[in-house]
Amino acid sequence: MSAELAVEDAWVTLGGTPVLRGLSLGVASGTRSALVGPSGAGKTTLLRAVAGLTRLDAGTVRLGGRVMDGTPAHTRGVAVVFQEPRLLPHLDVAENVALPLRASGTSKRERRQRADELLGEVGLGALARRPVAGLSGGEQQRVALARALCADPQLLLLDEPLAALDPNRRDELRALLVALQQERRVTMLVVTHDRAEAAELGDRVALLMDGRIVQEGEPRALFERPASVAAARFLGMSNLIASTVRDGRAVVGGVPFDCPGPDGPATLAIRPEHVRLGGDGPLRATVLEAVYTGTAVRVLLSAAGALELTVTVPTDVAPRAGEVVRVDLPPRSLWRIPGEADPS
Amino acid sequence: MNQVWRDRAAVVPATLVIAVLFGGAMAGAVRTSVVPLDGAPSLDVWRALFDDPAFLDSLRFTAQITALSTVLSVLLALAAALALRRSSTLLRTLLALPVPVPHLLVAVTAVLWLAPGGLAERVLGGLPFDLVGDRHGLGVVLVYVYKETPFLALLLLAAMGDELAGREEAAAVHGVRPLQRLRWVVWPAVRRPLVTGALIVAAFVLGAFEVPLLVGPAYPGTVAEYAQQATKGDLIAGEGTAAAALLVTAAVAAVLALVAVRVARGGRR
Amino acid sequence: MTVPRSGRAWGVAVAVVFAAPGCLLVARALADVWRAPAILPQRWGTRGLDVALSGRALDALATSTAVAVTTTALALLLAWPAARVLGERRLRRPGLVLAVLALPLLVPPYATGQGLTEWFVRLGLVDTAAGLVLAHLVVVLPYVVAALTPGFGPRLHALEEMAATAGLPPRLVWRTVTLPAVAPALGAAAFLGFLVSWSQYGSSLAVGGGRPLLPLLLVPFAGSDPQVAAALGLLFVLPAVLVLALATRAARSPL
Repeated sequence: MSAELAVEDAWVTLGGTPVLRGLSLGVASGTRSALVGPSGAGKTTLLRAVAGLTRLDAGTVRLGGRVMDGTPAHTRGVAVVFQEPRLLPHLDVAENVALPLRASGTSKRERRQRADELLGEVGLGALARRPVAGLSGGEQQRVALARALCADPQLLLLDEPLAALDPNRRDELRALLVALQQERRVTMLVVTHDRAEAAELGDRVALLMDGRIVQEGEPRALFERPASVAAARFLGMSNLIASTVRDGRAVVGGVPFDCPGPDGPATLAIRPEHVRLGGDGPLRATVLEAVYTGTAVRVLLSAAGALELTVTVPTDVAPRAGEVVRVDLPPRSLWRIPGEADPS
Repeated sequence: MNQVWRDRAAVVPATLVIAVLFGGAMAGAVRTSVVPLDGAPSLDVWRALFDDPAFLDSLRFTAQITALSTVLSVLLALAAALALRRSSTLLRTLLALPVPVPHLLVAVTAVLWLAPGGLAERVLGGLPFDLVGDRHGLGVVLVYVYKETPFLALLLLAAMGDELAGREEAAAVHGVRPLQRLRWVVWPAVRRPLVTGALIVAAFVLGAFEVPLLVGPAYPGTVAEYAQQATKGDLIAGEGTAAAALLVTAAVAAVLALVAVRVARGGRR
Repeated sequence: MTVPRSGRAWGVAVAVVFAAPGCLLVARALADVWRAPAILPQRWGTRGLDVALSGRALDALATSTAVAVTTTALALLLAWPAARVLGERRLRRPGLVLAVLALPLLVPPYATGQGLTEWFVRLGLVDTAAGLVLAHLVVVLPYVVAALTPGFGPRLHALEEMAATAGLPPRLVWRTVTLPAVAPALGAAAFLGFLVSWSQYGSSLAVGGGRPLLPLLLVPFAGSDPQVAAALGLLFVLPAVLVLALATRAARSPL
């Protein structure tokens, strides 16, 4: 079972501070979406409002076309994997997983059976009869996931599901989440402050800032074509440069590069991984530092006095600090942020 | 000395002082009850005690006010804690007000309010029933409930922290209904402090006598009052009778404690 | 967060139920003449306070204070090492220790006092301050350990390790890290110990009837002279009021 989620013009004020300010968001039935934004942007509040734990001051939450406002949390058919596992300490692992079935009056034998199946799916089959207290954080998170799946929800909400895990566990759980979602076709919304987590888990990503969705789309579109300077900054773009476009060319460090669009002042976002070093690039720059990051080299360049650029290059072409290099900015490395003249 | 022994040594002073003083006290009480000051050891005092209708009346009376005070305080504290759990710290501070106030003072104030000719009677133009000196000890129960309910409620509120609220939310979003949440999420978290608190209250009511002395009836008294009466009479037999009567309350409290430990543990799988 | 209206109504109800008796106590203590059926006193005055602050009453006040302070100090000294070990969960099986510490709370203090009298008679401790302190200590010590234990824990231990690696000698670690961190629990334990000793009735009566403490003195007046009883009651409740005032202030300040 799965349903489409539609949040329309949601407003929530907590303790006198507006947290959601006219937020609208849609998640198509059976798809995965990620909601990403800085701390305090209202992510968790939105999640709680959708789950029925926080009341909207204005606006509507629809699930499968049905208006949910006023429907209590336990009848919404929305399951949540919270940031903390929130397991019941006096029950064993299997009974925690089967909590939704217990609520509906399912017999103990059936509950155990279903819990064992789900625990097998999340890779914890051996722990079914253990008390939850002895489990590691990652294991508890999986138990919480199995519990959410046990509710057979129309919509599955996850709050920073990968945040507390070390890198290897993180990849495992990400793959598991995607696999489980695809298998069941349950509508899934992940809330996170981690850009990578959002890109990894969402078919689509919505960017939440100051209580509103400022941009929404496929991960690639969002990350490569941010709609505002604030969005670009949050998505990790360090090279934001004021420039002027004339006759389809933008001036960077005194050198014109191809950049289609109308004439006028512009803010350019330069993607570090698409910048080319060496060859006969038209811009000359000095290497300030070159940092080996394990999989690539991050190079900080200075050109024409005031201009600083960060560039990532493969480890085999890395220059040394102090060297003067030639730089080329191919069209795909330049993104003109629409409607913004000045990055500051 | 290695760390394990140093840790053990650290708890010795406190434990030893209690073991000596408390163990000595219990041994002393037993000795007083079986060895009269002037004679050979005998169980006469104990036999006489259980033949005395006044003692049996006081035992019944004590059991009655203990049970009533404890049960009423527990129920009211549960209701109050559930009602106040989402409320401000100010309200909790207000609730904490009577906790450090001595029982004796509450009893004195109760007398001032509720005794015949007291302020309550003057304001209301007469009370429908007697509370001070009432034969069933209603006034005593009232004082204890007034004093113990906030104590138990605070104990419960401490167990109903943010973490519990989080677990309740998790249960709610997984389809668990409000009454089921009370039973499956809240109750397991508060049972231990509730049982512990109820035990402390019951043990206190069992043995304290400043409240029944002031607010209770002249007869029957609590076991503690009975013991105190005994020491006022024949000094030699009296001390033994008092010690024996008090040992009975100690034994009852010990049994209650064993029951409480089982109840607090019960339901753990 | 704003207090919802139902919360405010609760607040008013709780305040009335708990504040009204206190007001009556003050009024009764300051009413020289208050005969039935008048709702307000006929004449105000300080006769009650005069009696409460003179003669035997003053002696009892002094004894009560001295016994409570001494008992609490002793209890804190004995409790500190035990609370530290229990708070940091360093005992593999603390069950026996906890059970011994809980025993005196289960048995009526009057029973404990009565039993101690058997020995105090032989040791010449009946009706002495030392006897009172020992009798109170049995009841006070468990409370003090219980209140002090939460002050210790792995976080404090981590801070102490940090301070030691920062080059602080043990005494300085104790003064700059341990004591400030434990201070709230220490304060709570001290106040609780003081109040428990201060309010002891049963055990005081058993071992020290001839050297009355405040509660022993108060009881007879409750029937015979309500004004003096109320005035003594005000003295009796003074430490509790102080505790509450301090606790409220502590709750407001961040530390």
